[in-house]
Amino acid sequence: MTNTSHEMAPAAGDAQKRGWDFEAAAMPFVDSLYNTAYRMTRNAEDAEDLVQEAYFKAYKYYDKFQVGTNFKAWLFKILKNTFINSYRKQQQQPPTADFAEIEESFEQQISGEANESLPSPEQELLADVLDEDVQRAMDVLPEDYRMAVVLADLEGFSYKEIAEILEAPVGTVMSRLYRGRKMLEKAMLDYARDHGYLRAGEEPAKMRSRKRGSAA
Amino acid sequence: MNCRKVRETLFLYADNEMEADLVISFRRHVEICPACAREIERALRLLSLVRQRCHRAPAPERLRQRILVSFPHRKA
Repeated sequence: MTNTSHEMAPAAGDAQKRGWDFEAAAMPFVDSLYNTAYRMTRNAEDAEDLVQEAYFKAYKYYDKFQVGTNFKAWLFKILKNTFINSYRKQQQQPPTADFAEIEESFEQQISGEANESLPSPEQELLADVLDEDVQRAMDVLPEDYRMAVVLADLEGFSYKEIAEILEAPVGTVMSRLYRGRKMLEKAMLDYARDHGYLRAGEEPAKMRSRKRGSAA
Repeated sequence: MNCRKVRETLFLYADNEMEADLVISFRRHVEICPACAREIERALRLLSLVRQRCHRAPAPERLRQRILVSFPHRKA
């Protein structure tokens, strides 16, 4: 004759233990997840909801996590999928810089650029960019590029990890990082120029053609 | 490596993601090509700028609490 309550106890205990295990493993990443969520949603309220939802899902599917694989990347993949499914549609695209030049194919971009360098006034300018210019420039990046740049440059993930999180080939990660960073640089320069750091007349012809703000 | 290849793999180098044998030929080109050397400097400067100046937003304490109280094992 079996004692039902006796048999139930270990199962309930296992669930409890699994819960505590999850908490111990997952909570150290709350700052990283929130920072990424904040960069993607661009507002605190949505970022909090997104992170909460991601934790809920991760908790629920914790037994699907394969021990020995990258847990942090697994959490970020859940965050990314939650963002895509629940938040992306609500997001209003802000007025973005005109990135048409940079959105060209990776190949064209490279070949067009191979023999040009950024003129030195622009180099100097980058050193004077304000913190808020960097944030704003990040905010106007198209989503796919922003996600790759945030994961690499703010969260310090490797290409392989980013590929895992984005569920994309490493080659795609590389080209998104390349283009995303070029866009970021361009937007930062545009903002710095708006602040008037670059003296009139010094603006090189190459940079003059496109001005931000027409989309507002 | 030529200029084109160097420009193509600039960030791979800057991110320490380049394979060791490529790093050697990458550096060999950069030593004799001032234009490519400037591009590397530019890429490295951009990356350090972003890392230093783009503030990371820490999770608010209320979010941490919200998540913790939602865990079923804490309710049991």
